[in-house]
Amino acid sequence: MKESVYIGIDVGSVSTNIVLVNENQEILKKMYLRTMGNPINVLQVGLCQLRDEYNDKINVLGVGSTGSGRQLANFIVGADIVKNEITAHAVASSTYVPDVRTILEIGGQDSKIIILRNQTVCDFAMNTVCAAGTGSFIDRQAARLNIPIEDFGDYALKSDNPVRIAGRCAVFAESDMIHKQQLGYSKEDIINGLCEALVRNYLNNIGKGKEILPPIVFQGGVAANKGIKKAFEKALGHEVYVPEHYNVMGALGAALLAQKAVQKAKRTNFLGLNIVDINFQVKGFECPNCPNACEVVGIYKDDNLAARWGDKCGRWADISIESPS
Amino acid sequence: MKTKIGIPRALFYYEFASLWVNFFSELGLEVIISPKTNKKIINDGTIAAVDDACIPVKIYHGHVINLRNKVDYLFIPRIMGITKKEYICPKFCGLPEMIKYSVKDLPKLINTKIDLMKKDNLLNQMLEVGYIFINDKKRIVEAYHKAKAIYDYEKSKLKLPLVNNTNNVVIMGHPYILSDDYLNMNIKAKLKKAGLNYLLPEMFDDDILTKYAKQYNGKVFWYFFHQMIGTCFYLLEQKLVEGIIYLSSFGCGIDSVVAETVERNIRRNCDIPFMLLTIDEHSGEGGFNTRLEAFIDMLKWRKQNENYISPYGNYLYTR
Repeated sequence: MKESVYIGIDVGSVSTNIVLVNENQEILKKMYLRTMGNPINVLQVGLCQLRDEYNDKINVLGVGSTGSGRQLANFIVGADIVKNEITAHAVASSTYVPDVRTILEIGGQDSKIIILRNQTVCDFAMNTVCAAGTGSFIDRQAARLNIPIEDFGDYALKSDNPVRIAGRCAVFAESDMIHKQQLGYSKEDIINGLCEALVRNYLNNIGKGKEILPPIVFQGGVAANKGIKKAFEKALGHEVYVPEHYNVMGALGAALLAQKAVQKAKRTNFLGLNIVDINFQVKGFECPNCPNACEVVGIYKDDNLAARWGDKCGRWADISIESPS
Repeated sequence: MKTKIGIPRALFYYEFASLWVNFFSELGLEVIISPKTNKKIINDGTIAAVDDACIPVKIYHGHVINLRNKVDYLFIPRIMGITKKEYICPKFCGLPEMIKYSVKDLPKLINTKIDLMKKDNLLNQMLEVGYIFINDKKRIVEAYHKAKAIYDYEKSKLKLPLVNNTNNVVIMGHPYILSDDYLNMNIKAKLKKAGLNYLLPEMFDDDILTKYAKQYNGKVFWYFFHQMIGTCFYLLEQKLVEGIIYLSSFGCGIDSVVAETVERNIRRNCDIPFMLLTIDEHSGEGGFNTRLEAFIDMLKWRKQNENYISPYGNYLYTR
């Protein structure tokens, strides 16, 4: 018998995550793929893997999409719900850790804090003008120090002599780090200092004025970094809990939301796993009709224009109108 | 042919439009207002203006560039203050200079000083403007009174009758941000689409705001502070809204104090959700929409919970 499942898709700036959950909200499969600037391609590769592995074993009841590429994903797969990543993360967390009161989430290019009380979101914040203190910053520093990102946390844990690194800005942090390095501090201590700087920056920026109460859940790709987890625990004075599926919580939330949406709508918009065989292409143009010069994006399914978006006035939504060359 | 006078559709235009436009029309001038902000205006403005100006000031430069070849005069008053003993952002009193040194090939500028901080002498100041065009005191005074009456009427039309319906969200911030839908990323339409009503500080009665602003324990230094803090205390007491969104432009000196004070007072004294959104010259609306959608979800989620229904069950809206 085929198992009934829901698919959750989170298309983020750095990673594209896909999860498969059954009706009891148990995870059957999770995928963490690097977006590498090509969300459509990565999504198709991921779904192709799903098809190869599960095609005759599952019956897809619904699909949810989230992340900054949620609209794109929606178009390709036909989602039953398209949700922002803040809500998706909160839903996933509060399902698996029901009494959670604070969610710390650090992703590739954004970081957020979500405050819950009585299982309801009551406040949230996201980084505003600056990406210091997010995953890409650590990625970059790891590359600079020639350490695989997976080992970054372990290095930090080996430190026994904290080094203070300026954390307000990635550029300042980098120059401070170089100066400390030239003075002869060990790699481990500098990495630990970086973890603490990132946490300090996070708490000052995003956590400013927020009442951070336990239980605290730490999720997002950066939660893999034990050094950051330890630095959070040190700064907050509470245990920080990293859930089992920390790196795909957004996708998980999308899947859970899809379940609810489909239960209500009694049908799914999902276009089927065979969409991986379609050749999708994106072509953009600048609309010449008014001084707004909107950047309009058209998406082509096997060379046929299938949808267009990006215009403020909506004149290009009608795909029977030809795009200007 | 009529003399043409241009008014940039930015900054204090949104506050004084009907006064200025009708005054000049009554004097027999053709008034030309720049079009609504668009991408070209923002691009031209950001290139021309000094780099550390806030985005509304940059947009103003763009509107000036749009008008400069279409008019004989440009009306860029030097506004010092518009209420008694209250300052406004210092960029307004330097605006004529900023424009003069940043934008080339300008028509004649009219930069009469408008200062209502000591006494209400708007009439005298508009007389000064009028004399540039006609030497007829009686006609200028008449034009002023006609325009002022329309202006007062327009202002009073904005005021709300008593609000008691639910689903209200207030959007706070400078009027020139809240009125420019290109700059504020169409936030009003987006809220409406999500089934929420929006309220703006300009909809509340001035006397009420003044009364509530007195609750603030400290000197109310700016006109804008007075409006925002008055709105803030009024909302706290009347519980008219379910959420508060504060729109601020990046680098705004006044907001660095006002937004902070408003946020602190709201967070300490009530549990109404509050969100501060900072805008600049972004044209991608993704980040803005994500935050706005999450905020709207939060309001709906809370409402469900108050009614003791499952935490995120029934509020979901599909496309």
